[in-house]
Amino acid sequence: MGLIKTVGLTKTYNGTNAVDGIDLSIKEGVCTALLGPNGAGKTTTLNMLTGLINATSGTISFDDRYMGDRRKYIGYLPQYPKFYGWMTGEEYIIFSGQLAGLTKKEALSRSDELLSLVGLSEDKKKRVSGYSGGMKQRLGIAQSLIHSPKLLILDEPVSALDPIGRREVLELMKTLKEKTSILFSTHVLHDAEEICEEIFIIKKGKLIIEGDLVELQRKYQKPTIYLNTEEPIEDWSTTIKQKEWLRHMDVKKNKITVTVEDMDMAREALLTDESLRKLKINSFEVAKTTLEDLFMEVTGK
Amino acid sequence: MEEILNELQSVRWDLLAPIAIVSFVLMIVAMVDCFKHGKTNGPQWVWILVIVFVNLIGPILYFIFGRRSE
Amino acid sequence: MKQWTILFKKEFKESLRNFKWVWIPLVFILLGITQPVTSYYLPEILKNFGGMPEGVIMEFPMPTAPQVLAETLGQFNQIGILVLVLAFMGVVAGERNSGTNIMVLVKPVSYTAYMLSKWAHMTLLAFVSYLSGFLIALYYTYQLIGSVPASDVVSGFVVYTLWLLFVTTIVLLFSTIFKSTAAVAALTLGLSIILSLLSSITPELMQWSPGMLASHSYYLFQTGEANDGLWLSVVSTVLLVVAMLSISVYIFKKKEVATHTS
Ligand SMILES: Nc1ncnc2c1ncn2[C@@H]1O[C@H](COP(=O)(O)OP(=O)(O)O)[C@@H](O)[C@H]1O
Ligand SMILES: [Mg+2]
Repeated sequence: MGLIKTVGLTKTYNGTNAVDGIDLSIKEGVCTALLGPNGAGKTTTLNMLTGLINATSGTISFDDRYMGDRRKYIGYLPQYPKFYGWMTGEEYIIFSGQLAGLTKKEALSRSDELLSLVGLSEDKKKRVSGYSGGMKQRLGIAQSLIHSPKLLILDEPVSALDPIGRREVLELMKTLKEKTSILFSTHVLHDAEEICEEIFIIKKGKLIIEGDLVELQRKYQKPTIYLNTEEPIEDWSTTIKQKEWLRHMDVKKNKITVTVEDMDMAREALLTDESLRKLKINSFEVAKTTLEDLFMEVTGK
Repeated sequence: MEEILNELQSVRWDLLAPIAIVSFVLMIVAMVDCFKHGKTNGPQWVWILVIVFVNLIGPILYFIFGRRSE
Repeated sequence: MKQWTILFKKEFKESLRNFKWVWIPLVFILLGITQPVTSYYLPEILKNFGGMPEGVIMEFPMPTAPQVLAETLGQFNQIGILVLVLAFMGVVAGERNSGTNIMVLVKPVSYTAYMLSKWAHMTLLAFVSYLSGFLIALYYTYQLIGSVPASDVVSGFVVYTLWLLFVTTIVLLFSTIFKSTAAVAALTLGLSIILSLLSSITPELMQWSPGMLASHSYYLFQTGEANDGLWLSVVSTVLLVVAMLSISVYIFKKKEVATHTS
């Protein structure tokens, strides 16, 4: 059973379907990306999931272990979060917490926790109107987490940010996915590949591709190196985490799947890596085409 | 002349003074907000002039039309 | 109830920070001072500086205390209501247009509580402003002209409060229906002016109308007695307020929160 499941979800605006019969199933404990170009219907879909707009047709069901109003179990960060600029960051988080049912005391201690998690402790007494775009985005994430939601929905959380802000937020999401299920939308495949396990690609309101990211990558033959070693490879894998040619990796005991940015650099680096050689390489396989190629093709760029 | 002076003395200044006080307070509050809040529709200095020089209704005009909400 | 309190406190704090809780009461206080003062000094000013042609003898009778109170309510009815409507035209539309309501309503918040907190706060601010202006006017009238029996003052005051309540509820309703705050202001002012005008032109036909309340409260100041039809317009106003509140909440629930996605 998925955490949230839709069947034939459709939203019609002035006779055209912004979202057109989408079946989603978001698994618990998994990070899922909703991927699609601008205007694909991502925001519209998420707005229906959160109950901010009503579906024209189709159904949405939330895990029946969690009873009642599903807003209690969902944390949401809109694409363009709008705050009450006259509040301080801390006031906003406490206000959000109280709305979500926390007592003032609970909200206060939880806000301390979250503001330090998103790195806003120093600025928490400042008015939100003076926050930068990146700070607002992080404050938005903090408010979405205030009631420890089962599902965190983030609408294009990094699209409006500069490279540094983008990195900060992506790192934050990596930490968060340890504790809560995440569904986030993006128009950049790279972001999805970096943190997600599952993806749904939509275009013009329709679902085109869905499934496990690694499987899809394999299926659509990405620039990937499959490595198989005699010895366990987990410890070694941390040494390449920061390499600029690395895109994504998936480690299982003595198997590693390395999706790379630049095949030549990666191949060169791996084959000359002494410590890797010590693990006794069994196989070293290189694949060519990419999921990105496919994504570009289906999204028509 | 004498007559006018008498009349002036009969005016209840104690009751008229609060008008000046209240409009002064309004002006100060509007000025403080205009500087602190900082976001106005149109140039800020124009609103400062309006607040200071448009008697009584200047500050009110500022709060209704001049102040841009966040 | 708990959420209602949180939302109400937020409204209150917001209006403290943007000084609505300061300047709106001050406007009513100013009106409450200036009206009795002008009523008192106007005859004298006209006598001294009127520049009347020779031989024309004009009498400028000093107004009575109940008249001055009624004139003050007349000021509240024009400038006071204008100010209240302009200050609150965005009470619902503002947050919708800016999108600040989204992160609030995506929390497990009751839409009814959201609307009622806004209405209650706006009405409270209007009432406190009116009360302060009225008390000042009463003091000035007493100092300059004379007193009015307390019971007449109270009943007249309460009846006019209902009219203000009616106006703030229209603001809420229109601010829920329309996106444009200018439209909210224009329609609210238009409707309240039409109701008041019709009530003074054809009182017989408008007995039920909330627009009669102001003249009922003048009558109470003057005579201490209820004019014909007072109860009818009181009851119909209360019913209209309840109806408009329910309609506002209903419309708000039906409208989608996220109006645009970009
Ligand atoms: N309120 C609305 N009225 C009319 N059309 C809308 C509305 N909201 C979204 N749309 C349309 O629906 C489509 C999907 O929009 P959106 O969900 O914002 O896409 P995305 O978030 O993927 O960029 C777009 O073509 C957009 O113009
Ligand atoms: Mg979008």
